[in-house]
Amino acid sequence: MLNDNTDPIELKTLQDQFNLGQKGLSGNDTQEFFVNMGPQHPSTHGVLRLVLKMDGENVKKVIPVLGYIHRGIEKMSEYIGARQIVPLTDRMDYLSAMSNNWGISRAVELAMGVETNSRIETIRTLMAELQRMQSHMLWWGVLGLDLGAVTTFFYGFRDREFLTELMEKTTGSRLTMNYIQPGGLMFDIHEDFVKDVKAFLKYFKPKLEEYEILLSGNVILQNRLRGVGVLSSDDALSFSCTGPTLRASGVPLDLRKTEKYGVYDQVEFDVPVGEVGDCWDRYWVRLEEIKQSMHIIEQLIDDIPEGKFTTLKPAKKLKIPAGTTYSQVETPRGSLGTFIQGDGTAIPYRLHFRTPNFNNLWAITKLGPGGKLADLVATLSTLDLVIPDIDR
Amino acid sequence: MGLSEDKPWLISSIDQVVNWSRANSLWPLAFGTSCCAIEMMMATNSSKFDLARFGAEVVRPSPRQADLLIIAGTIVKKMAPRLKTLYEQMPEPRYVIATGACTISGGPFVYNSYSTIRGADEIIPVDVYVPGCPPRPEALLYGILTLQRMIKEGESMAWTGKRKKPVLAALPPAITGDDIYSEMQVLLDEQSEFNVRERAKESTWHTKEYDEK
Ligand code: SF4
Repeated sequence: MLNDNTDPIELKTLQDQFNLGQKGLSGNDTQEFFVNMGPQHPSTHGVLRLVLKMDGENVKKVIPVLGYIHRGIEKMSEYIGARQIVPLTDRMDYLSAMSNNWGISRAVELAMGVETNSRIETIRTLMAELQRMQSHMLWWGVLGLDLGAVTTFFYGFRDREFLTELMEKTTGSRLTMNYIQPGGLMFDIHEDFVKDVKAFLKYFKPKLEEYEILLSGNVILQNRLRGVGVLSSDDALSFSCTGPTLRASGVPLDLRKTEKYGVYDQVEFDVPVGEVGDCWDRYWVRLEEIKQSMHIIEQLIDDIPEGKFTTLKPAKKLKIPAGTTYSQVETPRGSLGTFIQGDGTAIPYRLHFRTPNFNNLWAITKLGPGGKLADLVATLSTLDLVIPDIDR
Repeated sequence: MGLSEDKPWLISSIDQVVNWSRANSLWPLAFGTSCCAIEMMMATNSSKFDLARFGAEVVRPSPRQADLLIIAGTIVKKMAPRLKTLYEQMPEPRYVIATGACTISGGPFVYNSYSTIRGADEIIPVDVYVPGCPPRPEALLYGILTLQRMIKEGESMAWTGKRKKPVLAALPPAITGDDIYSEMQVLLDEQSEFNVRERAKESTWHTKEYDEK
């Protein structure tokens, strides 16, 4: 049942929406009922709350209730300067802090017309790809955990720790890096960086095969993922899904190919695309992306160009000129759009983030109904949601 | 607060046994709202920082089976009543560790944010504060060691339900991860039944490249 804390207006809306009290499946004498999944639930990966209308084990309707981690980042950004907004974006999608930093930095650079050099762009690309691998590793481990395979969690975290330490050497932080800044980088890379990345690639290649042996070929996993939560390409587009979720449905949209940013135009990589759009495709696309990221890193790591690591003086005030700018980057979960409106002062007049998870989440309202409750967990897990990114 | 002298001998020796077992079998609740939760997972479940050696690795998804609430992440106004409910659902004796700047004071969201709660102690009582944004896994382990020390020293059947003063388990500035490892090692050597170092050398999952790094 809905708990006592539900406020009366919300309860009324939910009851209207659900139309409870009807008979269940035609002819059966079953009673439909509410189930609250969340806000404290291990497989919603945070504080997402899904109100489910159930008929026995079958899900009839899914309503996401948001706001349990709404911190008001957009409003806060209207009081502080661009350099102070960067650390806040770390906390939005904390598994892809680099890409988030890049999103806001790129928007400010476009608005101010700041040029960067090729060393900066190469290091940014390297960092973003390392972060993509790190994020997908965590997702892989947690997917196994959600489906009942605890071992994958240890494997994923073991390899993730390697990358965390590698990035900590350069950025000084394990999770919230605050590294990519408007106009450049916070620090230059650590002297061991190249050596470490190479050691990591050497170490991780056999491990990725281990991932496949451990989980991908497992018949239980295949049965639980294949044909479950099929998202057609039309639906994916109409929900405005992005990232691996969209690509698994067969739409080859990758901002790394279409937007001109970083040094992605100088490297060779494929965009893995699924066929059916079920959970298995989303699983496969993410594992392929890890391989592609490794491929990108291999091409870049040997010759990082020389140059300065920042083009703006740290003390310089970043005055955002009047007018609006919109920039997009590809995070591990999809496209992160940053809309910035300036009025000539150092403080943005309005800042808006179009975050990938918010749009990816709403696909669950289509994928959940008609399936079993256990399949809903698998679907949620393959959508790879980060809740503070939804609520901001 | 040590064991009080004016307690009868029987009570103080029962206290010792009870506190020892309580401190070494903390069951945390899986409660993470945001960023700090990742580092908490890193500390509790991953293979490098393993909470299991302090008897606290049984992470329970249900508050009714847990006795340690690690608040990992920002608490906002909409979540606050739920946090209180969770706390009230936990059976006594229950302990609370607040990890991260957000649960101590509001952290990065202390200014200009209209929705965050400035510190979890406005809602529920907190025993140990672990600062950091997010705290490193070592710091969280240090916090849990601090809580264990508090339980071992400060609780008694003579005053059940009485709360101790909350403490700040900040890693002192000059302390590094290695110092904590050595402190853990001393504890391990004291309390474990076999030689952990020897066992670790025999384990096979370490590849050569990982060690060389
Ligand atoms: S203290 Fe920092 S890392 Fe922890 S939840 Fe708050 S913002 Fe996130």
